[in-house]
Amino acid sequence: MAALRTTVLRQVLAAPTQRTLVTSAMPMRFAAQKLAQRPAFSLQRAAFQTSARRSILPPLPQKVRGNVNDAAQIPDVDPTHGSYHWTAERIISVGLIPLTVAPFAAGSLSPLLDGTLCGLIILHTYLGFSSVITDYLPKWRVPLMRKLFDFANFLAVFVVGWGFYEFETNDVGITEAIKRIWTA
Amino acid sequence: MALRLATRRMALAPQAFRRGMATAVETPASNLKETSDPNAKNKTFQIYRWNPDEPTSKPKMQSYTIDLNKTGPMMLDALIRIKNEVDPTLTFRRSCREGICGSCAMNIDGVNTLACLCRIPTDTTKESRIYPLPHTYVVKDLVPDMTQFYKQYKSIKPYLQRNTPPADGRENLQSKADRRKLDGLYECILCACCSTSCPSYWWNSEEYLGPAVLMQSYRWIADSRDEKTEQRKDDLNNSMSVYRCHTILNCSRTCPKGLNPGLAIAEIKKSLAFS
Repeated sequence: MAALRTTVLRQVLAAPTQRTLVTSAMPMRFAAQKLAQRPAFSLQRAAFQTSARRSILPPLPQKVRGNVNDAAQIPDVDPTHGSYHWTAERIISVGLIPLTVAPFAAGSLSPLLDGTLCGLIILHTYLGFSSVITDYLPKWRVPLMRKLFDFANFLAVFVVGWGFYEFETNDVGITEAIKRIWTA
Repeated sequence: MALRLATRRMALAPQAFRRGMATAVETPASNLKETSDPNAKNKTFQIYRWNPDEPTSKPKMQSYTIDLNKTGPMMLDALIRIKNEVDPTLTFRRSCREGICGSCAMNIDGVNTLACLCRIPTDTTKESRIYPLPHTYVVKDLVPDMTQFYKQYKSIKPYLQRNTPPADGRENLQSKADRRKLDGLYECILCACCSTSCPSYWWNSEEYLGPAVLMQSYRWIADSRDEKTEQRKDDLNNSMSVYRCHTILNCSRTCPKGLNPGLAIAEIKKSLAFS
């Protein structure tokens, strides 16, 4: 279908005809009235966009997969990227709340609590970014970019994890740092 | 890389010949004051026009001015009047004129709604702007292409699936409480207002099912008579079908029937998480 359309359109391109297209099927009396009322600047041209311009991944020409009466394809069952992923996201997000409050409420610093907080922050950002990547880099359209970004996200877990480890062992640690910034 | 891929596709097919999303670029003034009556309540409607017979001309906004005193109260009345008396080339879908067929879904003054359920704002100083449903492939003027939407609806198997015959040999009975679970779900008329208001559906309509189809999916998951509930849930359990919903609730806000697709999607997520 798409192939047919491009051929037809190429022909149109190659041979611009002098076809006059009558778009206004207005009755004559209206047409006369319109002519009489036409303002001095009959053709107002204003460049405007109704939606944001998408220079990155602009919508492709329409392509129907299979027959128009076929059902859309159902993906394979994949709870790791489906329900488990979602549940993990929620549990970690909820778990972060007491962990952020606890050290300040207790007023004491525990390396174990600090470590858990760091670990959960890393996982939280990893899952969050993976959601963003899935949203904006569709596998069917930019498979290579998708792989690259997924890998970069995975790599970030270790880089940030190493950073937190250094911060916790050789410096004051995250809770103490927040405390100092807060009171600074 | 993404950019390069995209531009390469564009180089093959000249920009002007690609069937585009609703993006108008110019406004030729084509006012038609129909009356000089001093009591006339003239209101201007800016309507998105694009004709597939002229693939080289870009979509444009055309303005029509009509007297509200001679027009019915709803947007659809205005559109029908424009088509009947001003410009017969204006194209839009309509059927029941009472919000039960879902044909006249369009974007009116920035909100996806049914033209037949949308009152014309009586403020005549402001013009109303009418576009086809956002991020759809436009067939002509206000007519969007619904192929993908219907294909997705078909993929959720929107019918009762049972292996066992009914207990009394005649009907599949259901308690009143079970029937009540379907209220707020079965009323959906599939006008696609919600799906086309959802940014996730804009970006990922190839794989994400969108609020309207998901609500219908939940309608069959929640049905006590259906015996393929687990199968239905498995079909949704992947990264794309449901989980591209980030609960921004554009769907619930825009629904012209006052339904809540956002809640139905949340119920699906809940049932998948605790199963």
